[in-house]
Amino acid sequence: MAKWGMVIDLDKCTGCQACTTACGMENDTLPGENWQDVLFYTEGEYPSGRMKWLPRPCMQCEDPSCVHVCPTRATYKDHDAGGIVFIDWDKCIGCKYCMIACPYGVRFFADEAPLVEPDLKEIFPGSGGRLWDPPGQSPDQNRKRGIGVQPKGVVSKCTFCYHRVSQAPEGVPDLDEDDPDLVEYVPACVRTCPPKARYFGDLDNADSNVNKLIANKKGVRLKDHTGNRPQVYYLGAGAGIPAFKPKS
Amino acid sequence: MSADTIDRRNTGLMTGLLVVGAAIAVVTFAIVAFALISQGHAAFNMDANVAWGLPIATYVYFALMSSGLTLIAALAMVFGFKQYYPLIKRAIWLAIITLVAGLAVLAMELGHTFRMLWALPLNLQIESAMFWMGVFYLLDLIFMAWKFQMMERGDWTSRLSRQVGIASFIAVLLAAGTLALIFGMMSMRPFWFDPTLPVWFYATAALSGVAALVFFTYLSYGMDRSGMPEGLRMDLEGPLPKLFLALAGITLVLFLSRMTTGLYANAPEVNVVWSDYLLASGWFHFAVWGGILLPFVLLLGRGMRNAPGVQMLAAILVLIGMFIERLYFVVGGQVVPLFKGTWERGLVEYAPSSTEWVLTVMGIALVFALYGLGERLFNLSDSPMAAAGEEAAGGQEAATSS
Repeated sequence: MAKWGMVIDLDKCTGCQACTTACGMENDTLPGENWQDVLFYTEGEYPSGRMKWLPRPCMQCEDPSCVHVCPTRATYKDHDAGGIVFIDWDKCIGCKYCMIACPYGVRFFADEAPLVEPDLKEIFPGSGGRLWDPPGQSPDQNRKRGIGVQPKGVVSKCTFCYHRVSQAPEGVPDLDEDDPDLVEYVPACVRTCPPKARYFGDLDNADSNVNKLIANKKGVRLKDHTGNRPQVYYLGAGAGIPAFKPKS
Repeated sequence: MSADTIDRRNTGLMTGLLVVGAAIAVVTFAIVAFALISQGHAAFNMDANVAWGLPIATYVYFALMSSGLTLIAALAMVFGFKQYYPLIKRAIWLAIITLVAGLAVLAMELGHTFRMLWALPLNLQIESAMFWMGVFYLLDLIFMAWKFQMMERGDWTSRLSRQVGIASFIAVLLAAGTLALIFGMMSMRPFWFDPTLPVWFYATAALSGVAALVFFTYLSYGMDRSGMPEGLRMDLEGPLPKLFLALAGITLVLFLSRMTTGLYANAPEVNVVWSDYLLASGWFHFAVWGGILLPFVLLLGRGMRNAPGVQMLAAILVLIGMFIERLYFVVGGQVVPLFKGTWERGLVEYAPSSTEWVLTVMGIALVFALYGLGERLFNLSDSPMAAAGEEAAGGQEAATSS
């Protein structure tokens, strides 16, 4: 089985947030519930200050701290599904310990006050225990893997678009949106990226393009000191985040 | 000792406490339940940045108060300090009801409380500190209830009774320690990350436990020590306030150590939390200097220490101060935004919603109601010495009449 990984080239990323929008459309997430986001940082001070940004999906860590803390095994890493970290919405008790334990802030409860007005939960009220019923929602639903419209009282996160990726032919080294035979299996954020800054492939396949990019362009993992070992790698200048400094 | 030997002088007050407390608990429960049904968890102000807010802080407050009360009771039931026997029945009852109140608040906070009942035992995630906390607090509750039932039967020192007392002590050490490690093992949250956090939790638990014991004992006797059984009165005139003083002192030293380390650290996730969040708040200053230092100073002199009014004041200050400290501790680990970029440029702002405050009131009301119930149903001032004294008095009476 593949070990799915993502490579993001920050020298190409324009910070346009198309990935964030595509993710929200694909996964029926609420505004602010950004399974995928682009984070902007300011680093340094005048005259050498600069702005930097980096896209942030779930890192699908090799040793995910969220999995260790979950008291009900609702959050789990499935090595038979590309090493993706999933949430079983039927087991999640909504204790939010995983949100505390994730160093990358990629988890969302969403059963909370709206981050953006108007509150779409009121405009499209949910039925069957769902948080909301968005118009034109995705037909893909899998509560055991946290795919579909989020139910009330549980945590959600990026699934690397498992509902698409899982349909890919066995053994493909990369899922490239430029390949007509594979384009339907590519995660939404990768497929939509206008400058083609994102790559998706098998980290266990020595011939995959993602492995070549990581090797040749010195791919790094963010916050590697946490020991979580993400399956998402960054290329280019600016692959790091500045220390927190509260605004004055 | 049976219910017919209960000191009935204060049953009016206790009945009032029971009725009013229960009424407030029911009404506040209804308000929170209605808010959760109509708004979902949007009724709370927690979000992706501050996932744990006032309800979790309230749970930690009550759970540790319960643990502290059991630790105090362990002085007699485990370590053999017999002078503390007149305190332990009330301490164990309070430990049971504060834990119940804490769990009730927690149950209202979780996304799926009832799912927890099967999902925890069926999945056995032994890697999770939260799983073990649940196991140990459940054992703690069972052993405390068992011990209380034995004391109610008059069995204080049988082999089994002592074993159950020791078991509850071990369970409470594990439970409070695991609760601490839920926070202390989070290396991605440097403000909490601390292998010695259980020590801080034990000390503050014991301090809030002794404060609760002093507060409720005086409440039962209307601040009048002359109405107390002799053993209990002697405890409140000597060993208990000394213990109270020692615990306030230990907590103060530990706090100063934590604060110095926090302010000295370069890491902004620690330093900024101390300088720009904790010490920037008047409430936190009140919690520490008013809730730990002032009680310590009040209890330093022997004359002051033994005055009921001073003891009660110190207890109230500690109970309020510890509550504030728990809130700032729980939120403090989350105020530095984690990987949010310019979406959160400063410290995360969080203020509990009105529903969260109502939920906290529910927990407090539940404690008062159940305490009133306990005083109505049981003789919480009972002790093996009192029982022995009564037996001796009974024997003397019989001899005189014959």
